[in-house]
Amino acid sequence: MKINWENINIENLAAIICEFLEKNNIKTTLVGGACVSIYTKNKYLSSDLDFVTESSIRELIPIFNQIGFKRKSGRHFENPRCNFFIEFPAPPLSIGNEPVTKFNFIKTKYGTIRLLTPTDCVKDRLAAYFFWNDPQSLEQAILVTKNNEIDLINIKKWALKENKIDKFNVFLGKVKKSRNFVIPKKYIDYIEGKELKEKDKKMIDMAVKKTVQEYGEVLELLGKE
Amino acid sequence: MLESLLGNKTIEKTLFFLETYEQGYPKGISKTFSIPVNGIQQQLKRLEDGGIVVSSIQGKTRLYKFNPRYPFLKELKLLLQKAMEFISEGELEKYYRKRTRPRRKGKPS
Repeated sequence: MKINWENINIENLAAIICEFLEKNNIKTTLVGGACVSIYTKNKYLSSDLDFVTESSIRELIPIFNQIGFKRKSGRHFENPRCNFFIEFPAPPLSIGNEPVTKFNFIKTKYGTIRLLTPTDCVKDRLAAYFFWNDPQSLEQAILVTKNNEIDLINIKKWALKENKIDKFNVFLGKVKKSRNFVIPKKYIDYIEGKELKEKDKKMIDMAVKKTVQEYGEVLELLGKE
Repeated sequence: MLESLLGNKTIEKTLFFLETYEQGYPKGISKTFSIPVNGIQQQLKRLEDGGIVVSSIQGKTRLYKFNPRYPFLKELKLLLQKAMEFISEGELEKYYRKRTRPRRKGKPS
């Protein structure tokens, strides 16, 4: 398959790398900001892909050379035609003091990505907020939480273990404030201040009349008392 | 003390320094122990690549400290603390009891 490195998106690139390394008997897991990009459909766009593997950098160099990625410094690789960097943070794969044991797998036309689960992705971002007070990581954790099914109880237990419950509560407060509400499509025009359809106008008129009538009846009853 | 485990004396001293003062920059560590700054930089890079320390720029200086996200940090610090109990009083006084409290600019030392 011919790869268009210039225009490839982060999800497909992650799949290509995972699949390519797997073919070379190297198991790797996508972590960090790239997971946020994938779980938020690029509402946040990371410029690098972080993979954790137990293999050494020396083993990776000749393999990455085959697909045009050259080692640039310590643990990072670049392909001049590709907009994303590939980085290999030091193993082990962990979040705080806990090893990561559950993974998510996303299938794409280029192969399967092995990555952190959405809940672990939130924990990974929160760890950066907990330890470095990084506001961007907090925003990313909120974005992932809003766009995915997240086990908040699990995260709370983890935050307790890390002795960071105060910061967890800040995160939770922001998640609650920014929660999305589902608005039926037919009401969008109304919310945006555009004209209502006749049928809707009649329904609203009826509802108003009914409310006024019931309110009047209640007042009447109160008056009698 | 931990030289055979860690590989060399410079990395051992660098770790003891960070354990004592919580953070450090290559030139400061090198001056403390009177060892070449290149060696310290090399070991700090090794520790950073391994996820054991992290660094950030403050002014014109790159400051290093332990990575709070390193999964074995608690255990590593315990090991360092234990090893430091075996350092002689003279060595402790010379290297690990430097003044860290603030000192107003212009005040005679």
